[in-house]
Amino acid sequence: MSNLSLSTLYNQTSLRFIRTFIIWLPGAVVALLWLFPLYWMLNTSVKPDRLIMAGVDLIPTEITWEHYRTVVADTPVIRWFVNSIVTSVCVVAGSLVLGSLTGFALARMHFPGRTVIFWLLISSLMIPPEMSIVPLFIGVLRLEVQDSFISLIIPPLASVFPVYLYRQFFLSFPRELEDAAAIDGCSRLGTFVRVALPLARPATLAGAILIFTSNWNSFLWPLLVAFKTEWKTLPVGMAFYTRLDIQGTSTQSGYGEAMAAVAIVALPTLIFFLILQRYFIEGVTQVGIKG
Amino acid sequence: MTHLVDRAASDGWISRLSRIRYRGRRVDWQAYLFILPFALIFIVITLLPIFFGIYISFNEWGIVGDPEWVGLDNFREAMQDDWIPKVWGNTFQMAGLVVPGTVLVALLMALWINREQWLSGPIRTAFYAPHVVAITVTAIIWIWIFEKETGLLNLALYGIGIPKQGWLTTSKWVIQSISLVTIWQAVGFHMVILLAGLKEIPAELGEAAVIDGASAWQAFWRITLPLLTPALGLVITLEIISAFRIFGQVYLMTGGGPGGHSATIVSYIYHEGFVRFRLGFAAALSLLLFLTILLFTLLRARLVREHSN
Repeated sequence: MSNLSLSTLYNQTSLRFIRTFIIWLPGAVVALLWLFPLYWMLNTSVKPDRLIMAGVDLIPTEITWEHYRTVVADTPVIRWFVNSIVTSVCVVAGSLVLGSLTGFALARMHFPGRTVIFWLLISSLMIPPEMSIVPLFIGVLRLEVQDSFISLIIPPLASVFPVYLYRQFFLSFPRELEDAAAIDGCSRLGTFVRVALPLARPATLAGAILIFTSNWNSFLWPLLVAFKTEWKTLPVGMAFYTRLDIQGTSTQSGYGEAMAAVAIVALPTLIFFLILQRYFIEGVTQVGIKG
Repeated sequence: MTHLVDRAASDGWISRLSRIRYRGRRVDWQAYLFILPFALIFIVITLLPIFFGIYISFNEWGIVGDPEWVGLDNFREAMQDDWIPKVWGNTFQMAGLVVPGTVLVALLMALWINREQWLSGPIRTAFYAPHVVAITVTAIIWIWIFEKETGLLNLALYGIGIPKQGWLTTSKWVIQSISLVTIWQAVGFHMVILLAGLKEIPAELGEAAVIDGASAWQAFWRITLPLLTPALGLVITLEIISAFRIFGQVYLMTGGGPGGHSATIVSYIYHEGFVRFRLGFAAALSLLLFLTILLFTLLRARLVREHSN
């Protein structure tokens, strides 16, 4: 009797194990497939041309930094890197200041027009940015600010995302916090700077990360406003390496360099993401759910 | 004495303003100062350009010389332009693959991660990773994978006996290839939104249903999916908007080729506006793009409302 129940128990456990495994496996396989192109970029970027042309080599048998050296020698990569960093950092800082002030007012202050302004901002999200790209481009040309940080930094500051992020965050604050600050003699600005902002650190972090990545990766606008090579951002500059195969010419030499070039663009955001992924996920979650 | 002075001061305009009430509560006038900096930028960068863009679309507007009012000519030309049905058609085809593909894969991934199995943290990271790299990175990596002779995909297919294909160079495959790349990059983001939606659903609900004799499949259709509708609606809307705006992939991977078979609405706007500098025509096309997106998002909202009734 006890023997029987033991073997049933054994069978049930192993059955459950197999079922769990059958569900687990496809997810793991898809995850590997999803990472593979990024791995393949790094793999190709460190292989000598001879190995790249020889075919598939999942683990490189020989490693070279040659392609990275060539990219640095052939392109003004440092200048592009500086353009990207300066633009992204300024956009992050500016967006956080503008977004937190506006988000705070929309969430915690009482004034006529509050609802209308919020809905105006939200419905502007339905309008594709392409609608304003032609007029903005004309504006940039008229003001002659193409090839400058002004044209790279100012337009992205109009993003509604940080306003929305902070508003959602400040809405969840307890009323007592402000009352306590008011009793302590804090003005509205004082409450905002000394009480609300420090408590909003999670929103600030999430916002900083998401805004930084989206600006680092931004493509169409910097492509339009950079006429001179030295004003390109890293993603726009490295687009140079697409010339390889489009015309259907199949010379494989050059793919090592192309992969090294895009690895230089990808690594900052990838490393940034790996270190801070918790905040990435929280940021996206906040945007998605609390709306 | 002091009492009287105080009365006089408190009748100044500042204190009169501060006593104005709106819906029963005192108005926080400082709020307008808080909003002012963003409002200025928003008006200059987003609001005015939208109206200015509509105005431009009624003009013949080049990069040199004076603009000329041409009424509806740009729109009339768009109606007769052979490229319009082509680029709109290509974009619809891509959206038809990308929107359902992304939503379905993201949903499966979210359901899988939500089970909290072995390694689900790192696996979630793997799904999300493509979303943090620039479109230049994505495009160039996939140009290499799709390469005809020594690209990874053709080598792998050749290994199992399928002849090599020109993924980006033949009209047969180019739309599918670009859609695949788009899905690869987009799913991680939508997975996280859906995951957050799943976390809001109390686990007890599903368990209770299973105890009541429902199969896991029934529990999914009757409980999980309906409760996930808001998150799904958001994901679908965002995907419709971004699928209609596909540009970087096409610009970088095919330049719209072969023979215009992968040209999209935005790549055509780019070509007309910023290569040929026909800014009035490009503005008209942008307006048509906006109307197309509006139509589809309204249609989506309507479908969901009918579904939930």
